[in-house]
Amino acid sequence: MITPAPTRPTMIEFRDVNKYYGEYHALRGISATIRAGEFFSLLGPSGCGKTTLLRTIAGFEDISSGAVLIDGRDATEIPANKRPTNMVFQSYAIFPHMSVAQNVAFGLRRDPGSKAEKAARVEEALAMVGLKGYGDRAAHALSGGQRQRVALARALILKPKVLLLDEPLSALDKKMREHMQVELIKLQRQVGITFILVTHDQEEALVMSDRIAVMFEGRIAQLADPETLYRRPATKDVANFIGVMNFLPAEVVTEAAGRIAVDVQGLGRTEIAADQAPGAVTGEPATVGFRPETLTILYDGQAAPERETPGSVEEVVYYGDMTYYDVRLDGVDKPVRISMRNTPGRPVLDIGTRTRVAWSPTALVLFR
Amino acid sequence: MKSNGFGLKTYAILYLVFLYAPIVLLPLFAFNDATIISFPLRGFTTKWFEAMAADTTLRTALTNSLIVAVTSAVAATVLGIFAARASTRYDFRGKGPIMGLIMLPLVLPDILISLSLLMVLLGVGFTLNLGTVIMGHTLVCTPFAIAILTASFNSLDRSLEEAAYDLGEGKWSTFRLVILPLVTPGIVSALLISFTISLDEFIIAFFLAGNQVTLPVYIYSMLRFPKNIPVIMALGTLLVAFSIILLTLAEYYRRRGIAKTGGKDTGGFL
Repeated sequence: MITPAPTRPTMIEFRDVNKYYGEYHALRGISATIRAGEFFSLLGPSGCGKTTLLRTIAGFEDISSGAVLIDGRDATEIPANKRPTNMVFQSYAIFPHMSVAQNVAFGLRRDPGSKAEKAARVEEALAMVGLKGYGDRAAHALSGGQRQRVALARALILKPKVLLLDEPLSALDKKMREHMQVELIKLQRQVGITFILVTHDQEEALVMSDRIAVMFEGRIAQLADPETLYRRPATKDVANFIGVMNFLPAEVVTEAAGRIAVDVQGLGRTEIAADQAPGAVTGEPATVGFRPETLTILYDGQAAPERETPGSVEEVVYYGDMTYYDVRLDGVDKPVRISMRNTPGRPVLDIGTRTRVAWSPTALVLFR
Repeated sequence: MKSNGFGLKTYAILYLVFLYAPIVLLPLFAFNDATIISFPLRGFTTKWFEAMAADTTLRTALTNSLIVAVTSAVAATVLGIFAARASTRYDFRGKGPIMGLIMLPLVLPDILISLSLLMVLLGVGFTLNLGTVIMGHTLVCTPFAIAILTASFNSLDRSLEEAAYDLGEGKWSTFRLVILPLVTPGIVSALLISFTISLDEFIIAFFLAGNQVTLPVYIYSMLRFPKNIPVIMALGTLLVAFSIILLTLAEYYRRRGIAKTGGKDTGGFL
């Protein structure tokens, strides 16, 4: 993953974008900037407005208020067919009555270049997506993965400033999807333009993106790089949507000098840094979250590096490389999920085993 | 279960015999060397076809019918394209009732349409001729054209249009380069169906043609003379053959259109 340099100029800017469909408020005050050359993802469950937001960049969707700026220009001044953006559609939208080469060359119709020049550009675009020599094939006879590549070549041949990808991998099977994820990352680095991806698959977003905007119900809940999103989710919704998160009831005791003392059910009193506790208020009930891999089940005689809590194993799910345990910590009414890497010499525990669980205050996130 | 299957089979066979036996009789008597339509057959002849070819009134009626059928097929299909495009692509107030009213002639008795058209046209001061027949036929053919074309337009992925637009085309060039080629099979199919419907339509033509008769009206008038009946059989034979060819073509184009856009066949007229 390349961490985007802060000096990169802004490519897309949303300024308090609102969109209504009749009474329905689809986009609720979206403000964000997407930098040039960035692989940016809009992530969220279906109906959260991510596709609508993408389509406002393409020009297929009007906005009710606010502004969308593309490379510094107000997008409303540019009709959809003149914008420096091109789109890869969820259905790929390959023209079924044309050959692969005709599809890829479609955007060059208004280009003043010679026929030979255009043919060379088509070949180049096909080679870039790994479809060299496929030009004469009928478009409707291609497989899903091949259609996807044709759609990419067709969009990239116009050398847009921004490539918009609307759930481009959702129609592919798991293996193909993982393969295409890597291909897309490589392609983005190769062409160096801004990619904006819409997806409901959190893993896909984490794998591919420089930065991710997580959306719920027409709002951006958090905009951050994948690691921050995973380690320091800003809200319970974000934490729940990205990966697996354990939650335990807690109460903030005191707040002082950037340190927060908190009582967590089962874990007892602990102190965390302020950046682990977005919006905590002293004396109010809160929730503490932690990822399954931040917990460790201790051997007999093994000492905990920081803190430990006793509990008993309630469920064991064996995955080969990993084992997931559901452990009920003493004093907690529901079990927490712990993921352990299976290493040689370390047996998988049985259900009912009494054990000790090591945890670290730095891995906790406090939610209001 | 076995006896059930047998009963259904018998029913199906009887049904097909009832449907097609009279049509099989057409060529049989068209080539029979006798004026009277009855068994046993008297021997092979082509003289009824020769008599048919020599009949100038018949030729005029055929020409009239072709003029009416071609004109109303084109008119119905053009109107159908507008209506189908509007109903599949756009949402507007009163869309349901408007489309319902346009499709109503499908189920309205032709005799009612003919009578009301006759009264209105005469009241407004039109002279009855082929033009008035064309109006009537366009009215009854349009719903069929819309039904076929709506299916074609519906099977188009909306993002195809957006893709063309995204790649720099305007509204009209998108229609010409992407939509039109993909609905062409539906257009051909609508033309052929409308043509066939108009060609053998009787009631409207009978009411609205004035003294310019079309083929079905002419055939009806010939029935009064028994010696003409074998000639009608000969004409009927040709029309049946022609209709089968046209309908086959129409269905072929409809299916090819579906295959082209990669959609699923959701039924049609055949």
